[in-house]
Amino acid sequence: MTSDEAAAPGSGTAGKTGPLPFDTSKAHQARMYDYLLGGKDNYAADRVATEAVLNVYPEMAFAARANRAFLGRVIGYLAREAGVRQFLDIGTGIPTAGNTHQVAQAIAPESRVVYVDYDPIVLAHARALLTSSEAGATEYIDADLRDTDTILSQARQLLDFTKPVAVVLLAILHAIPDSDDPHAIVATLMDAVPSGSYLAISHGGSDLLAADTQQGILDAIRQTSQQQYSYRTHAQVARFFAGTDLVEPGLVPVEEWRPDPGNPSGHSPGWGAVGRKR
Amino acid sequence: MNTEVPGGEQPDPGMDDPSAGGVILRMLLGAQLRRLREAADVTPEQAGYEIRASRSKISRMETGQVGLKARDITDLLALYGVTDEQVQSRFLQLAHQSSRPDWWAKYGDILPGWFENYLGLESVSSTIRTFEIQFVHGLFQTEDYARAVTRLGHQTAPAAEIERRVGLRVKRQDLLARADPPRMWSVMDEAVLRRPVGGPAVMRAQLRRLIEAAGLPQVTVQVVPFARGGHAGASGSFTVLRFEEQDLPDVVYIEQLTDAVYLEQRSDVEHYLEVMDQLSGEALTPAATTLFIEQVAKET
Repeated sequence: MTSDEAAAPGSGTAGKTGPLPFDTSKAHQARMYDYLLGGKDNYAADRVATEAVLNVYPEMAFAARANRAFLGRVIGYLAREAGVRQFLDIGTGIPTAGNTHQVAQAIAPESRVVYVDYDPIVLAHARALLTSSEAGATEYIDADLRDTDTILSQARQLLDFTKPVAVVLLAILHAIPDSDDPHAIVATLMDAVPSGSYLAISHGGSDLLAADTQQGILDAIRQTSQQQYSYRTHAQVARFFAGTDLVEPGLVPVEEWRPDPGNPSGHSPGWGAVGRKR
Repeated sequence: MNTEVPGGEQPDPGMDDPSAGGVILRMLLGAQLRRLREAADVTPEQAGYEIRASRSKISRMETGQVGLKARDITDLLALYGVTDEQVQSRFLQLAHQSSRPDWWAKYGDILPGWFENYLGLESVSSTIRTFEIQFVHGLFQTEDYARAVTRLGHQTAPAAEIERRVGLRVKRQDLLARADPPRMWSVMDEAVLRRPVGGPAVMRAQLRRLIEAAGLPQVTVQVVPFARGGHAGASGSFTVLRFEEQDLPDVVYIEQLTDAVYLEQRSDVEHYLEVMDQLSGEALTPAATTLFIEQVAKET
């Protein structure tokens, strides 16, 4: 069904990788995230991997909740204050409460949301459970983030690329190693959308973690997971926003980005920002 | 029922009747009580003292051998430091569910205990995932289709009994019309659509009903077409029930001819969950499924 290298995004298979195999024997980031958020759509390997990470870095549970809360505030901002009605959310994850289309369509029912993921379990859940409001639309693309051709050509059939699109890349770019040039991938996506479009990113910060903690996390992940992680510095994450103007408060730890009173408090290791394309 | 005398232990309702509805639910709630007690570092003796009962009573509560009384639960949850009112009231509601005679009690004469257990669990689940290889799921059946299926299983039963069985099945569907219905995610083999149970007219009406059901916001229907070749669900139909409580494990339910199997050990459940996930991925998307059923209805 697919090649083995598709299961190892770190191996430099840029571009045309097939879907991930259906494999629950190795941990998958989406299911680890589900476990961290208290979900039940995870398997033994995912829990073992997550516990290994928590052992090194107990704050990872907060990090997952903080990232999820960031998603809610970002989509809320984009739909309400920026008036965006089209969303390209890459790295869907296992559906849980407050998914992108639910947040957007609660504010603007006509919002159109295209989800992209390459994990067969995520896609199965997303297709079955992420159902649109009558007025809007929700669609799914089965593609690897590296495969921007597929993503853009399919997204064009569902979204109007002459109008602003919000490109949402939350907790996904760390799974793209430098050898696959994540900055070029983001630039390709942003080149395709018109001026006035938005880019939202959250990204594990190598300068938000102590060196030994970071090494401990990466070691735990290397031994257990389908994905490999590359955490990046503030400056490296800021480069993704080239050609955009960052909205206030700029690139900050995700929990500090326009916090709501009810959000969990703590310190996460993730940088987050929203930029508006010039 | 709060008539017990402090210090004394009364016979617990349902104790003599292990097949009464809610046994599985009681087991799950008991296991949750044990986890909470251990997390709070409370011994069974201390817990027993709190509710004026023995250590062994606590042990029997935690293994689902006895019914759970509201006052005991309230006291124990307080002792274990569970103060969230929503958690408390949901726990009480589930405990109540595990012991009360339900709407199906009046069908006791035709309802085997193992199926009564299932109805109890189904009614408190937050998500019901099913895979069907033979028949349309009971929650989606039309009356005529249900009658045809029932006749197959009870060929010598008098007409009045058949009608009671059909009535039970139709009544059960109130679940999906409830104010806060569970999410129903049903995957089925194409054979389910092609087998004209009750004849072509009954089947066409059934297929229309299935399309209607698929349009409900809480319902997802997916078909695994023959054209996809073999599929992961070779072992047959099964159901995975999920509960809102983070602590309660999923339960797998597998119906057999004269009995049913319940699995709640994580390693067992996980195997079925994996097959269910795989089937959901192999199946047509919900939108494509609706078109597919419409096509089958035309050909029926």
